[in-house]
Amino acid sequence: MKVVTGVVGNDIHVVANRLIDLSLRARGYDVFNLGVNTHLEEFFDAVVETGAEVLMISSLNGEAEGWGREVKLLKARYKTIDDLIMMIGGNLVVGSGNSEEIVARYENYGFDLVCHQVDLNTGLDLLQALLKERNIT
Amino acid sequence: MSHTGDKLLIDVGSTYFKVSTPDTIEQYFRDFSKDILDDLMDRCGDVISVYDKSDVYICSSANGGLSTLIIGVTNSFSLKYATNIAFNSGINIIDTILYQDIEEHSLPSDLIDVVIIVGGVDTHANLFAQPLYHYLGQLNCSNIVFVGSSQDAPQIRDNIENVAILPTIVDEKLHIVEEHLKEYLTNLYQQDIEGKEDIKNLYDITSNQIFATPYIVNRALPLINARYSVADPFILLDIGGATTDIHYSKDLVDDNMVTENEYDRLVFKRLGVYKSRQSLILAAQNNEFVYELLMHLKVTENILVEQSEKATKILMQLAIFLVLCKMSHYQKSYINLKLLAINSIMLTGGITKVLTIEEIEVIIAFFYKKILTSDHNPVAILDTNYDIWTLGAMGE
Ligand code: B12
Repeated sequence: MKVVTGVVGNDIHVVANRLIDLSLRARGYDVFNLGVNTHLEEFFDAVVETGAEVLMISSLNGEAEGWGREVKLLKARYKTIDDLIMMIGGNLVVGSGNSEEIVARYENYGFDLVCHQVDLNTGLDLLQALLKERNIT
Repeated sequence: MSHTGDKLLIDVGSTYFKVSTPDTIEQYFRDFSKDILDDLMDRCGDVISVYDKSDVYICSSANGGLSTLIIGVTNSFSLKYATNIAFNSGINIIDTILYQDIEEHSLPSDLIDVVIIVGGVDTHANLFAQPLYHYLGQLNCSNIVFVGSSQDAPQIRDNIENVAILPTIVDEKLHIVEEHLKEYLTNLYQQDIEGKEDIKNLYDITSNQIFATPYIVNRALPLINARYSVADPFILLDIGGATTDIHYSKDLVDDNMVTENEYDRLVFKRLGVYKSRQSLILAAQNNEFVYELLMHLKVTENILVEQSEKATKILMQLAIFLVLCKMSHYQKSYINLKLLAINSIMLTGGITKVLTIEEIEVIIAFFYKKILTSDHNPVAILDTNYDIWTLGAMGE
């Protein structure tokens, strides 16, 4: 299973990104890590180049909100990534907020899994469950 | 002043050629009614005949070089990487096509020297199918090279006649891999130069290999500091008769592209002051700041249609301005340079014979003020003696 991951926007918080890379590999995924400071278009382009089934975006500094709104529009321009599983995690708003409301909003942006301030391992368990549910191996 | 020993250096361009002896550099407009060798011998046969064939070094950018069309699967990786490699190999890019949109893409009318097909890391497969083969079938091209996923190579080979297959230029880390494609393109360019009847004749006066001019210039860049007091980082603008070349150091780009080159090259086709004068004027008319710039230079827009020395000067000034615009964040292009970090702008080519340093500095200052709203003012350096070219041609 191939996963493209990275930190979106002008966000330079790198620690979680390193952990995500290691944890995914430990769980047997092929990881394409774009690192920090990654633009939305680069994420989708990397999915096309690699044929990844999962896109895992993280955002720590509060930028995700702005990018989230552009996801649907940008993704619609691609003709080959309709089946992509999209996941986002980290600090998805500036400051704190109502988790349920945040999850609903990001699902509306087009994400299948939204992990606002969710611990990484919990998030990866959720991914595994979703893949199983959709019969993707 | 350079010392070229007892060597004679000749550069054949699209508009003029220059001839450099240890003491002088002469520049001549080409007479297109004549074969290059005849033209050359008529003007300076007496000089050339003094030199032994082994002491004559020739480079050429006549005929504008090779042209390529690139078909890739994404803008951020395959198309961008292939574009970078093509420019650095001295190739002009006619067009780039995002593969998913290939069916809506119109066919270029020009004959394409080489089509580059790119996309996919080696662990991915089946990126291309019928729409690609259909498009290629209608295309008028001399060479096709595939640099995508190795898993796709057999299918590509079965469907495209005479396709050259090389390793992918997008590795498993999504980084660029340059060598193979660069070598292939450089060789193709070299063969093209040597294959042209006009150029072949030049081997009557030299026993050395004739190189492509952009290759020669690129080779000189790491040596420039030794010759000039250029403050790093710098860009080099080569504004010629048909195209404008920009060579820049890698620290001027903020990018996902990690390469081993110190310097990259970028070409703006149809931004020259002679052969592509009309398209230069068109580009100027479409730039919202040009009228203000003309006013600043105390001329009216009528100058654009005049045929005078003054008009040529103004066009050259506009070419500098337009190129700076194209490289800045003001216009989104394949690459944007960090122009505020530049300490020197060096100019070479025919422009150095026409404009004074003051006439260039006016433009640079205007650009930084108006477009970048900054007081930053890099120094202009004129390569009046074609030292860059002699450095590269000598291969020191
Ligand atoms: C270290 C740090 C920095 C360092 C970063 C160094 C580096 N290169 O990494 C520096 C000092 C440079 C920095 C800068 C800034 N920071 Co800072 N920084 C932190 C800090 C203290 C720790 C981050 C960290 O590494 N944690 C350890 C990792 C392992 O945890 P994590 O990042 O939270 O990731 C975990 C989970 O979130 C989750 N996770 C992350 N991504 C994903 C993705 C998925 C799919 C899943 C399932 C899970 C998941 O998994 C990880 C492990 O469990 C946090 C505060 C904090 N205690 O969290 C602030 C914090 C992230 N920073 C913050 C801010 C605002 C900034 C600045 C804007 C400050 C400024 N005004 O300049 C800049 C932004 C710079 C930029 N361009 O991005 C805010 C963000 C606020 C928000 N979102 O509302 C925080 C939360 C501090 C705060 N409470 O205000 N920062």
